Amino acid sequence: MSRPLRKLLDKAGMAVCVLLLVSPALLFFLWMLSLSLKFEIDNGAYPPILIPDRFAWKNYTTIFEGNSFLLYFWNSLIVTGAATLFALLVGVPAGYGIARMRAHKSAVVIMIARMTPGLSFLIPLFLLFQWLGLLGTLWPQIIIHLVVTVPIVIWIMIGYFETTPMELEEAAMVDGATRWQIFAKVALPIAKPGIVVAFILSVIFSWNNFVFGIVLASRETRTLPVAVYNMLSFEQVSWGPLAAAALVVTLPVLILTVAAQRQIVAGLTAGAVKGG
Amino acid sequence: MASVSIRNVRKSYGPVEIIKGVSIDIQDGEFVILVGPSGCGKSTLLRMIAGLEEISGGTVAIDDRVVNDVPPKDRDIAMVFQNYALYPHMTIADNMSFALRLKNTAKSEIAAKVERAAGILGLGPLLGRFPRQLSGGQRQRVAMGRAIVRDPKVFLFDEPLSNLDAKLRVQMRTEIKEMHQRLKTTTVYVTHDQIEAMTMADKIVVMHDGIIEQIGAPLDLYDNPANMFVAGFIGSPAMNFIPGSIGGDGFTTEDGSRLPLGGRVPAASDGRPAVYGVRPEHFRLADEGLAAEVVVVEPTGSETQMVLRPLGVKAGREDRKRELTWVLRERTGARPGEVVRIAPDPALAHLFNPDTGLRL
Ligand SMILES: Nc1ncnc2c1ncn2[C@@H]1O[C@H](COP(=O)(O)OP(=O)(O)OP(=O)(O)O)[C@@H](O)[C@H]1O
Ligand SMILES: [Mg+2]
Repeated sequence: MSRPLRKLLDKAGMAVCVLLLVSPALLFFLWMLSLSLKFEIDNGAYPPILIPDRFAWKNYTTIFEGNSFLLYFWNSLIVTGAATLFALLVGVPAGYGIARMRAHKSAVVIMIARMTPGLSFLIPLFLLFQWLGLLGTLWPQIIIHLVVTVPIVIWIMIGYFETTPMELEEAAMVDGATRWQIFAKVALPIAKPGIVVAFILSVIFSWNNFVFGIVLASRETRTLPVAVYNMLSFEQVSWGPLAAAALVVTLPVLILTVAAQRQIVAGLTAGAVKGG
Repeated sequence: MASVSIRNVRKSYGPVEIIKGVSIDIQDGEFVILVGPSGCGKSTLLRMIAGLEEISGGTVAIDDRVVNDVPPKDRDIAMVFQNYALYPHMTIADNMSFALRLKNTAKSEIAAKVERAAGILGLGPLLGRFPRQLSGGQRQRVAMGRAIVRDPKVFLFDEPLSNLDAKLRVQMRTEIKEMHQRLKTTTVYVTHDQIEAMTMADKIVVMHDGIIEQIGAPLDLYDNPANMFVAGFIGSPAMNFIPGSIGGDGFTTEDGSRLPLGGRVPAASDGRPAVYGVRPEHFRLADEGLAAEVVVVEPTGSETQMVLRPLGVKAGREDRKRELTWVLRERTGARPGEVVRIAPDPALAHLFNPDTGLRL
């Protein structure tokens, strides 16, 4: 076989594989988009319509009119923001400590905490929050979201710190840096891409979480996923607005991921050791 | 500037002893090179001097102060790592000034010192770049710059040239030597390249399996190796070892050839088994010498290296060790398959005890 042809085939094969892998997600997404732009009557049409003749922008405007959508958006922002911020503050140093002390046992404990179904500690915590009189506020949700965000951050940071060359820290040690200075001036800046990844995953998981909100949120403290869920259960199921709402909920996370993509890929450690 | 005194130092990882009692005295301003085969504990010893590795036994003292329990940051040493270990997120200037900034040195003083070091190493135009934008040789220089800037008591180098290509390695070797002559900072330098050791050191420490085989000036080790290990390790190509026995006023090889001893027969040693050691450059053509077949001829221009197989030694893997290397200064028309007769210079030959390896 000629070489150019072979190269072409290789490329085509790669393209097919990639397409196969991402198509479920992509199709699903396109279908949501289509749904969110269709009027109710078009939904039941057979054969199904992907691109409707008339766009139902109304589906989107209604989200922002009723349902106190902006309040829920704000709630989500606060809960996810606070839970992620705190997780980074605690999780990055913790991940560093575990990676450097090779305390893999504690890493496993954290993993187990992550795997335990959230519902199992929801009930006691619910009672605790009630006793503390925090139930009308966002605090219970912020605190319980930490169960999700802290382990993610720690877990990712352990992996990241373990791959940063120990020689760099030894060089800093010889250069006269204290433990804290080594962390702040060498380990932390090098781990920046890792922190970005941890941040994004933490935001995604916290943003999308809805089990905690269902139990802990009152009418005023609902987060977005809970609000969308409520649309589903209390009004009659109207697919158009529902899909529109779901898309709007996903949008911030989507934008965040796309925006930070480059950061994640750009490995900062290049050049630290020979051949980098 | 400082002296370093290593007294009976040991290092164990769990039950495995890696360094088995090592003592070295390093004078102020001396350039000491640790050599030895891979895994003999050179890096470990160096890291113990730096404080990066705990000392299991014995003491390390810098300027007569025992530093066993002093953390690396308080030892006032600078280290150049094999992979350079430059901080990837800092510019070259920041890399070089990192230690000074930690000590809150005045900005003007930092600038002056960085400038001076950059001048010595020719790094001026690179100061604003990041390590990933430099070539291997430039990174190596930055790593040295980072050490120079601090003006430490001791420089430690761990195989700093092993990642460079052959030409650059020779060039950097000269630069490091020049730098030492200029700054006169006490230096401990690890390598397993014995040419580096021979050319740069004031004093070579030959290590093997966690112990010191011999300490001495380069030519001293070359001329008077204490044992077969040192004899075989120092010098390139390596010394030839010919097994046999001492008899009469000479040496008889295993296949019956006679080699001269030049009247230096050790007392009461008639018939005693021994190993005859002779360097490749200490053979010469001689009618009465050892007959050997030429196996390979390798001219390098300045000299010619030949592998010879003594007659009586069979070709093949087993007997590869019994082949001899001969290096001669002049060019030669000898071809593989030819038989030559060579004799060692008895004044420059050595005899070793085959059991202990010690020189007789
Ligand atoms: N952390 C460790 N745990 C257990 N054994 C170790 C450890 N570090 C080094 N060793 C062992 O100690 C011995 C000496 O290692 P060291 O790195 O000092 O060798 P070296 O002389 O520098 O070799 P090279 O020339 O290959 O760099 C080796 O056998 C190595 O396997
Ligand atoms: Mg080593």
